[in-house]
Amino acid sequence: MQNDRFLAYFMILPVVAAVLAFVIGPTYNVATLSLTQVVMGQERGFGGLDNFRALAADPVFWTVMKNTAIWIVGGTVLCVTVGLGVGTFLAVDSRLTTSLRVLILLPWVLPDVVTAMAWKWMLHGQVGIIGQQLAATGLTDETISFLGDPDLVMWTLVVVLIWRKMPLVALILCAAIRSVPDDQLEAARMDGATAFERFRFVILPNIAFSLTAVTVISMIWITAEFALPWIMTGGGPANASQIMATYIYQQSFEFFNWGVASAMSVVNLVMLAAIVGLYLYINRRSWASEGDK
Amino acid sequence: MNETSRPWYWIGLSLIGCVIAIYVLFPVFWLFLASFKTQAELAKLPVAFWPESPTLEAYTALFSPTHQKGQLLDWPGLIGNSFFVAVTSTILVVFFGTLAGYAFARLSFPGRDLILGGLLISRMFQGAALLLPTYRLMNMLGLQDSLIGLVLLYSAFGLPFATWIIASSLREIPRELEESAMMDGATRLQSMVMVVLPLATPALITAAMWHFVGAWSEFAFASILLESNENKTVTIGLASFVELFTLEFQYVGAAATIVALPIMLVFFFGQRYFTRGLLAGAVKG
Repeated sequence: MQNDRFLAYFMILPVVAAVLAFVIGPTYNVATLSLTQVVMGQERGFGGLDNFRALAADPVFWTVMKNTAIWIVGGTVLCVTVGLGVGTFLAVDSRLTTSLRVLILLPWVLPDVVTAMAWKWMLHGQVGIIGQQLAATGLTDETISFLGDPDLVMWTLVVVLIWRKMPLVALILCAAIRSVPDDQLEAARMDGATAFERFRFVILPNIAFSLTAVTVISMIWITAEFALPWIMTGGGPANASQIMATYIYQQSFEFFNWGVASAMSVVNLVMLAAIVGLYLYINRRSWASEGDK
Repeated sequence: MNETSRPWYWIGLSLIGCVIAIYVLFPVFWLFLASFKTQAELAKLPVAFWPESPTLEAYTALFSPTHQKGQLLDWPGLIGNSFFVAVTSTILVVFFGTLAGYAFARLSFPGRDLILGGLLISRMFQGAALLLPTYRLMNMLGLQDSLIGLVLLYSAFGLPFATWIIASSLREIPRELEESAMMDGATRLQSMVMVVLPLATPALITAAMWHFVGAWSEFAFASILLESNENKTVTIGLASFVELFTLEFQYVGAAATIVALPIMLVFFFGQRYFTRGLLAGAVKG
């Protein structure tokens, strides 16, 4: 038994060491950096909360917070709403929905650089097919530049985000809906419940757990998404689509403001920790049962 | 009368299905088609759906060192780098993930569930907040602008999920099989390799596919760590088209097709394994 214990620690050592070195270590490092005075990459001793003050004083900061709220809250709500609709549809038994369940994963597996390029072209201000078609059918007077208009750009990014992230939400909810006991649905049907009533009073209560879990997981995925907004707009025009992730990247590697960048990284980590905490709270039962096995 | 037997039910079902299929496929297919169009076709607005005179010019240009597009970045080199990083880190992840997965599933030791839970949670923190410290760490280790550095980083990012998916599949395999092999005189290592692993192959394939797809597609960390042109990966190559202010979308289309192709192949040939990991992975973030 004693031998088994040593063997076990030996076997998990590489994984634990890798995570300590490349995830936990850097997390700690960015936290200490945020409390350090940094000038052009040179550390100049303890700086207290100066970096956070500098961050809050940046006029872009509040734009970033507002955009991040649209990105995460708007993105999650739409992702789950659309995902629930599509998932309900996919749960229907037919050959068409069976093949759609595979096909719909395509946006989800494609590299986000590819997605960004595909949509960037479709949304292009002059030659993009979406703007072109809207103008051609007379819905708009001239071609709209979706990514060039500060009022539209953030929500345009959210639409692309939905395209990329919604499929998995739909599939998870589809699986949840398909596992709703048939006898409950049959009983509701016998009692004369309409399709809407069956959805509202039988399906929804049954999938409530999946729905909450998938909502919180979507928030984590969306917070982590960087390449899509960065490649499509780079935070522009004039910071109109700057979110936390793109701001951190820009401050770190284009402006070399490591103090501000590390302060924003800490804000980002704290926000993530809150979402992860929420996730663990929701999942407390399934984590406990995992330990019993 | 049951609603599913009414004709309008099937018509409506098919209509919605078609709308979803077009919504999912169109953006990618449109860019794919662009790769076969000529500059003249793309300049003529509105752009026709099918290529009028299909050409492979965009692909040959990217691969020819004498063409202005091929000169910019060495695409065969980029593809080689991406394959090197994705394949090497996949091998590392599956190997060390299997070791750890076995320990978590079969051996009991203090802190087992806590460590496994911690590993999974660490996955949720891999994001933009780690860009700056990772850059500093890699500089300190002398691994900036190095494909080996990228391999190590991707392996560290991928290991928790691989470990978890392998551990949960090993838990499903009856202990008795292993115990009887050990009764017959096999060592723990022998019984693990000869008895347990063959049964866990589907989980190993799932873990490998997931990691390969993630490593091949990764952009953020590659873009801050790789500096020299000969070390860049395909996602960096494709993203570099953004900066060239150009309407030559046939080249973007060709590059995007090259980047997407291995992923599509993995997805369609291994779809069974992929979805298996998907629903498992989804539940654990």
